[in-house]
Amino acid sequence: MLLKLTGGTVYDPAHGIDGQVMDIYVRDGRIVDRPREGERIDQEYDLTGKVVMAGAIDMHTHIGGGKVNIARTLLPEDHRGDPVDHTELTRAGCGHVAPSTLTTGYRYAEMGYTAGFEPAVLPLNARQAHLEMGDTPIIDKGGYVMLGNDDLFLRMLAAQKDQNAINDYVAWIIHATQAMGIKVVNAGGISAFKFNQRMLDLDEKNAYYQVTPRQVLKTLARAVYELGVPHPLHVHGNNLGVPGNVETTLNTIAGVEGYPLHLTHIQFHSYGTEGDRKFSSGAARIAEAINRNKHVSADVGQILFGQTVTASGDNMSQFRNAGHAHPDKWICMDIECDAGCGVVPFKYKDQNFVNALQWAIGLEIFLLVEDPWRIFLTTDHPNGAPFTSYPHLIRLLMDKTFRNEIFSRIHPDAQKMSTLASIDREYSLYEIAIMTRAGAARLVGLHDRGHLGVGAAADITVYTDDPDREKMFAKPDYVFKDGELVVRNGKVVKVTWGATHAVKPEFDRGIEKEIAKYFDTYHTVKMDHVKVTEQHIAEDGRNHVIVQACKGRRERTA
Amino acid sequence: MSALTFTLKHDAPAQRIDLAPLTPDHLAGKSSAEIGAVELLCGNRRWRADRLFDIAGSDTDDIVIDNANGKLDFIGRGMQRGRITVNGDAGSYVAFGMRGGTLTVNGNADAFAASGMTGGTLKIDGNVGDFLAAAIPGERKGMKGGLVIVTGNAGDRAGDQMRRGIVLIEGNAGAYCASRMLAGTLAVMGSVGDYVGYGMRRGTLLLFKTPAMHATFQDCGSHTLPFLSLMFKAFKGLPTKFADIDQNRVRRYMGDIANDGKGEVLVFIT
Repeated sequence: MLLKLTGGTVYDPAHGIDGQVMDIYVRDGRIVDRPREGERIDQEYDLTGKVVMAGAIDMHTHIGGGKVNIARTLLPEDHRGDPVDHTELTRAGCGHVAPSTLTTGYRYAEMGYTAGFEPAVLPLNARQAHLEMGDTPIIDKGGYVMLGNDDLFLRMLAAQKDQNAINDYVAWIIHATQAMGIKVVNAGGISAFKFNQRMLDLDEKNAYYQVTPRQVLKTLARAVYELGVPHPLHVHGNNLGVPGNVETTLNTIAGVEGYPLHLTHIQFHSYGTEGDRKFSSGAARIAEAINRNKHVSADVGQILFGQTVTASGDNMSQFRNAGHAHPDKWICMDIECDAGCGVVPFKYKDQNFVNALQWAIGLEIFLLVEDPWRIFLTTDHPNGAPFTSYPHLIRLLMDKTFRNEIFSRIHPDAQKMSTLASIDREYSLYEIAIMTRAGAARLVGLHDRGHLGVGAAADITVYTDDPDREKMFAKPDYVFKDGELVVRNGKVVKVTWGATHAVKPEFDRGIEKEIAKYFDTYHTVKMDHVKVTEQHIAEDGRNHVIVQACKGRRERTA
Repeated sequence: MSALTFTLKHDAPAQRIDLAPLTPDHLAGKSSAEIGAVELLCGNRRWRADRLFDIAGSDTDDIVIDNANGKLDFIGRGMQRGRITVNGDAGSYVAFGMRGGTLTVNGNADAFAASGMTGGTLKIDGNVGDFLAAAIPGERKGMKGGLVIVTGNAGDRAGDQMRRGIVLIEGNAGAYCASRMLAGTLAVMGSVGDYVGYGMRRGTLLLFKTPAMHATFQDCGSHTLPFLSLMFKAFKGLPTKFADIDQNRVRRYMGDIANDGKGEVLVFIT
């Protein structure tokens, strides 16, 4: 099967291609250089005048795992309010801020996305997270597994175990949960919450284990680096949402001593304490730190105005914010001493000073960070806004007039506290392609995605160039997933099932003895029951695991 | 102008029909052709209204549903004004989220009548199913305002999580009457079932004979409550037997003390 995509204007930043008219050939789901001698072209798409990019990748979106289900359970009105009918092809679903799995997959594909990564897979919940992602059609999936608040890791850290032993444990967890990377949420803080601590700064000790977030972060960042996992440690910082947390975030960047670090939803971690209301933008300082520290990347976690729900492993900050719940209901819980979970529905309002400034801070960070390879487009779905608002967000970044028009309508005091109106930058299509495709694929470690080079998987999105970028990105003309046409004119025309990406760093299996002993002594399940295998994921006959290489494994520490 | 009348066809599909779109607010300003083309959810399909109903008349502020078979759900959902009259049995969720106007059912209604209702008047000339004025699963408040009159009996859980408004039941009520009630007034002329006021937080349950109450209700003695006279005065002229009552001497029980205990069960005495 050979496809020819003729005459599109291609944006492929991984190969430095910026708006070049060229043909693309796809054979059996992969991009090829040219047809073989005498090979027949089975299907040709005339893309003259169209914009062609790789399929977009959402590198941080909560689409699977227990907390999404809790959010669904908590918000029946969200489901009742947004029913989706079944069609000949697609199944019925519902939900705006916490849509059902099927609806999630269709909606992502209909926006030109071909992969999404769940950033908060709890080790003991990994099976459920994979089952749920396995029910998310069309797009590729993957997860970052949460460590840093689990009892075993904190015990090892408190006992000052050798870094190599910790590396082995981290690698074992990645294998056992079929993950793409490691995430740490409020390092040590989720655990500290259970010992009645309500705040935990970078150098404060966990009351029980006597370890600090700084130790947790450094040890995990180093483990991920030494194991050669391509995705740097994915950090949800301490003190989320607390005015003045910009200091914590800057200290976090300094605290990992040069190991690669990805700071997620950094907008929530960029608040100062200036002004009459003791709440101000730390965006300039954060952006400057990112610009200066090449080992650091970030995704923004932009908020957009309207109803949404925040779902996070960070029970400490979710408990702190529970009073703002709208509608007034929320859940915080422990999960198997592994981590925590907090679900708090939120309504961001443009006439609320704090919300309006949060909105401006996110955009300031987008526009002040110079390197689009190290800043990523997210709303931390659904925490800042549901992912369906990405086209709107892209327009805010690409259209200064539009941005300033909305800026002029937000709370006047927030306008006074923000420099947003003075920033002239507008993102180009090339830069958007970097942050949503090439950069995201490189950051996550998807070697064959996010670009249109020879050998890449044929995940391709075709848009009609439109000065209204919101309209353009909301409704692609064509979306190809692994060479199959799945979306035409913004509607699903074929349902495929995508795959699950994972990494398999090497490690010493001897660590299993210690882990098994721990599970036997303290846990409700046996170690072997926790492991999710590739067979389990492939069991339903439609999903399978794609192992991405751990390139650049570093020598173990002596 | 004559009332806009929807008569259910005899060959209509056997599935339940969601009648939410047939309210005065939705139909105002529509031509008869447009009204015929309104799509109604029936089972898992959408049908045109004129496929399911014979439609006559034109006054969209006065809607009549004839030949109702007990499978018509969500009648008057969110209606804000005007009048709907149902001849026959309504289905579940009648007056769901109703905000104003008058809805009359000349027949029985099923579960969750007046759930989420915030205003207007619902009169049911017949019996009503379980969960009258209660919250649907996932919601935390049931009825939030308005007036409901039931001339027959009510099922279980009448007034469950009710938050405001008045419910007058001329017949009997089932088990768990006024359970988890948050506020508002619920009156039952006949008998009530087991577990009266289970988990009742606040609100008033008015009864005519002393029910069996659990230990978490406290007898607070006999009182003459002038507010009852004022309340019944306000009922004068309403199409209900409650309009003829003029009594204000009651025995007062407070509970459920397992859950705040600010609710009251008032039982008329002589």
